[in-house]
Amino acid sequence: MLKYLVVWLMVFTIYIVFTGSIAPLTLITGLIVSIVLSITTAKYLVEDEEKLKQPIRLLYLVYYFLKYITVIELRAHMDVVKRIITMDIKPGIVRVPVASVSRYARLLVMSSITNTPGTVVVDEKNDYFYVNWIYVSTTDPLKARESISLEFERFASRIFD
Amino acid sequence: MIEPVLFWIGSALFIIGGVFDLIAAIGLVRFPNFYVRLHAATIGAIYGAVLPLIGISLMALGLPELPGRYAIAGASFVTAILLLIVAPIGSHVLAYAAHKSKSVEWNPVVDHLAEDEAK
Repeated sequence: MLKYLVVWLMVFTIYIVFTGSIAPLTLITGLIVSIVLSITTAKYLVEDEEKLKQPIRLLYLVYYFLKYITVIELRAHMDVVKRIITMDIKPGIVRVPVASVSRYARLLVMSSITNTPGTVVVDEKNDYFYVNWIYVSTTDPLKARESISLEFERFASRIFD
Repeated sequence: MIEPVLFWIGSALFIIGGVFDLIAAIGLVRFPNFYVRLHAATIGAIYGAVLPLIGISLMALGLPELPGRYAIAGASFVTAILLLIVAPIGSHVLAYAAHKSKSVEWNPVVDHLAEDEAK
């Protein structure tokens, strides 16, 4: 039951923020759309209802979003901007082990890696991500993991695992 | 009181986004092949698109006389978040397809994926 409520609340909030109005017509349309969506999709979107009862996970997600968009992204952007100017590149595809278990955690790690300039996930096989890296400083998977995805995985495990 | 502050922070984000877009465009021209160009494209997608959209939403909130400012602010913010979620999928699928089809010629330092596929 809780999962339907949470999905409904999320969809309804997004709808209201997107339309930016609380006119009666918007509220009614939003209610209808969000109820239909929550009934039809909640059982696919939520795998483990127990995790929804731990709001600390949501706080971690908000903290991670703020840290990611400011500190981590800025560092990666400045690195690639420097390489655009100096053309100091050493591209390659390296193996990076991934320890996160759930599908959502893996998606978050994969999206975070790809969203930072300088690293793009090309493929995933047997608990390894294959990462296209703009400057291959090490070919050792564990060392590569330290500089590419360790921080993302820590947050992803706290949020989704 | 808070409105001018929001407007100027939004404007700053907007201009910073434009600068990053320009740098990304230069990178796209200068980088030698598809796989490296993807990284320049990522700059254009994150600080070149997500950041200015957040800037627009702050600017709209900072202009009280603007009609429908909540709609502009809300739509820009939600679009920024959605872009942050879906942009990596596009990059990943492009890279995946390019590697599978072997249509890009390049000289990587190391290519573990090709090594593992050859096994």
